[in-house]
Amino acid sequence: MGVTFVEIASGFFETSVFIYGVSLLLIYALLAIMSFLNIALFLRKESYTDYKVIVGSPLAPGISVIAPAFNEGLTIISNVRSLLTFDYPNYEVIIINDGSTDDTLEKVINEFSLVKVDFAYDIKLSAKPVRGVYKSRDEAYAKLIVVDKENGKAKADATNVGINVSNFPYFLCTDVDCILHEQTLGMLIRPMLEEENMRVIATGATLRMANSCEVDEGVLIAIKAPRPLLARFQELEYIRSFVMGKMGWSYINAVPNVSGGLGMFDKEIAVKAGGYDPASFGEDMELRMRMSRYVYDNKIKASVRYIPTTLCWTEGPTSVKIFMRQRTRWARGLLQLMLAHKKMLFNPAYGRVGLIVFPYNFFFELLAPVVEFLGIIYYLFLIYFGLVNWPYAIILLIFVYTYSVMISSLSVLWDQLTFQYYKTWKDVIRVIAMVFVEMIIYHPLIVVFSLRGYWFQLTNRKHSWGNMQRAGFKKKSDDKSKKPQPAVSPS
Amino acid sequence: MWNDLVELLFQAYEQFSLLPLFIEIALAFIIIAIAATIIAYGAIMYKRYKSYVHEKRVAFINPIIEDLITEQVLLNDSLGRDIPTEEIEFNPEAITNKVYKKPFVRQILIDTLIQYRKNFRGEVGDLLRKLYLDMGLDKDSFAKMKSVRWEKKIKAVVELTQMDITISDVTILPLTNSTNASLRAAARNAYIQLSKNEPFKFFDIATEPLLPWDQLEMFKIITTTKDIAIPNFSRWVSYSSNKSVVSFCLKLIAHYDQQSAVPAVMELLNNKDHYFRADAISCLGKLSAEASEEKMVKIYNHQPLNCQLEILKAMGNIASGKYLEFLKSEFLFSSNFDIRMNAARAIIKHNTQNSRLLVEELMEMTYEENQLIIKHCLNPLIKY
Repeated sequence: MGVTFVEIASGFFETSVFIYGVSLLLIYALLAIMSFLNIALFLRKESYTDYKVIVGSPLAPGISVIAPAFNEGLTIISNVRSLLTFDYPNYEVIIINDGSTDDTLEKVINEFSLVKVDFAYDIKLSAKPVRGVYKSRDEAYAKLIVVDKENGKAKADATNVGINVSNFPYFLCTDVDCILHEQTLGMLIRPMLEEENMRVIATGATLRMANSCEVDEGVLIAIKAPRPLLARFQELEYIRSFVMGKMGWSYINAVPNVSGGLGMFDKEIAVKAGGYDPASFGEDMELRMRMSRYVYDNKIKASVRYIPTTLCWTEGPTSVKIFMRQRTRWARGLLQLMLAHKKMLFNPAYGRVGLIVFPYNFFFELLAPVVEFLGIIYYLFLIYFGLVNWPYAIILLIFVYTYSVMISSLSVLWDQLTFQYYKTWKDVIRVIAMVFVEMIIYHPLIVVFSLRGYWFQLTNRKHSWGNMQRAGFKKKSDDKSKKPQPAVSPS
Repeated sequence: MWNDLVELLFQAYEQFSLLPLFIEIALAFIIIAIAATIIAYGAIMYKRYKSYVHEKRVAFINPIIEDLITEQVLLNDSLGRDIPTEEIEFNPEAITNKVYKKPFVRQILIDTLIQYRKNFRGEVGDLLRKLYLDMGLDKDSFAKMKSVRWEKKIKAVVELTQMDITISDVTILPLTNSTNASLRAAARNAYIQLSKNEPFKFFDIATEPLLPWDQLEMFKIITTTKDIAIPNFSRWVSYSSNKSVVSFCLKLIAHYDQQSAVPAVMELLNNKDHYFRADAISCLGKLSAEASEEKMVKIYNHQPLNCQLEILKAMGNIASGKYLEFLKSEFLFSSNFDIRMNAARAIIKHNTQNSRLLVEELMEMTYEENQLIIKHCLNPLIKY
């Protein structure tokens, strides 16, 4: 009886894992096809688009660029200058000093001739109190608003203040240290303005690692593949996630998430959906999900769109410790999101979000590390009892490996077919090399850190934001021995 | 030898068919994955090599094209001598050089000529156009018009428009109503620039929407194209059934300050679509249509928030002074922040003795948040 039960259980497990694995691989194959079609369509449109046309247009809708800053004293001036250089006629830049303990605020006040003003705004979204709003006396910085607030221990809290203060119908959410392309606003607003019969509630674009890029005063001078191994793995992961994943999902209006590093939102919907949730560990995913809930509940035909162009370069963690903290937080955020919005799972009332986005997130993002972990345990169990058919096992391993290599290779191909950001073969090879070792080195880390995040969330462990260490961007004149620039976050 | 190979494959197939299904699937996928990976890297190498070759070719051909334009157009001896452009001849040897027979060179030449024409108007611009025609590049553009690929058609339309080459109405008008939004937009923009008599004729037949993105470009074209015949846009406000066309015309009416359109725009205040009404109210405000104030105040209480805000903004623009009491009451008694903010702005925008006294009075009688709103609106550093 006991043997029969074990046989049934193992048979069930093996069949389930097989179906799960094949489904995942088929989804990746579908994504590869859909992303290719979407990118091709995008490139056809781009072939004759001149974004300069909107530069002088009085009809261009206003956009508020919201960038929270915490202890960014070392780089804040060049960061703000960079944000003030968009090639767009109608925008404002709102910097939120989130209770920095360094000289971030003082530096900005001095550099941009800021004065405290009586600034009235409607508190549509709750957040920590604002200590002051500053505007520049210099007409050259008329677009700049600096808000000084108490530390909210979350980017979401600071962004909500930015939304409250903002004046325009669209807002762009980014990190103050991100380097954005000068055409970012024009390129992200375009899908909002050209979709027929549908309200585009959010748009996003590809992000990449800025780690080894050359940057001067917040402006990108040369794009290079990251040298540090961990950042290079992330570069590949981002290419796969954005160029293949998000572009594929965007083709069928089922984008699971708009990245916190760069996303443009319809303010009215974002506010009505309740804004960012400061208690969430994955505030970007959470907002996207809540905005979707809102539009479905109110019968608004809406979409979320992505474009394949890289518009944002961000510095990825280069130490395993910081990387672990980041991925643990993301995993917590995912689990938190799934529990908070579990009603949406397979709920036809939420259309594609309920039937595609949520199930995909649940089965293939949330459960993937768990299934992998259980698979390894099961494998060890079989090895221990000598039940492994080694030739078959090796064939299956090769199958999984070659398939993952194929998907990543196709992502790199899509990326190269669209925009050849890397000027040299060396840079291309640096990224391609990661394709072959990612599964052995990088992927296990992701699985472990995700499980750690789930565990922390389930056991309600207090999250420590810890120290974020930024190496800073490589300046054209930098020598190779640049010291890391520490920036302490609240804990 | 051949038989041995067939035998070997047959044996392999026999063994393969004896394997469990999932192993068969896995093996098939392994072969597909390896093949796809090899193809992917082959494609990357090919693409990068192609780009490299293209860059080299462009680097080689660009100076030749630049020389051609400089010698034949910019430094042409006939320029500035009052000789009609049509009579200026180019050096036949220079323009019939066999290098210009290659399609990629011709495309680079077209693109370069377009760039130059954006920077040069007048005689030089006309001579650039003549060079385009004399080298038969218009035929290349017209050939693209016949392509089944819409992006090629768009490219052709843009090229011909930039070179000011007339496209027959029979060809271009149907495209202005294409179901392909991109092609439609390009054709409409081209029609406005190329049609000498009735550049807005397509508004009459437009059934497909004029998307906000397309409006940005079209607005710029209309407002920057020289010698364009600007009609009275109220014609479409009154008769067009295409909402996006009406909405766009409202913006143009405001831009060209077409006061004669006020009655037609006021008719829209009765429209059922509140987005439409908001556009009409905004237009009336920009026209400073004092005649519309009474009606706007009358309908105010029955309007959704977006229309109410537009009414307040419009009253600030009109600034007749007749409805300061109305604005005061909205500022003092509305529970909505945006209404109070816009009412305060409207009062301040009047900038009269009465309005300034009213602002002082409000500062004294109102509560802290409202005082902050007034200070905000009075501060010249704050734009919005």
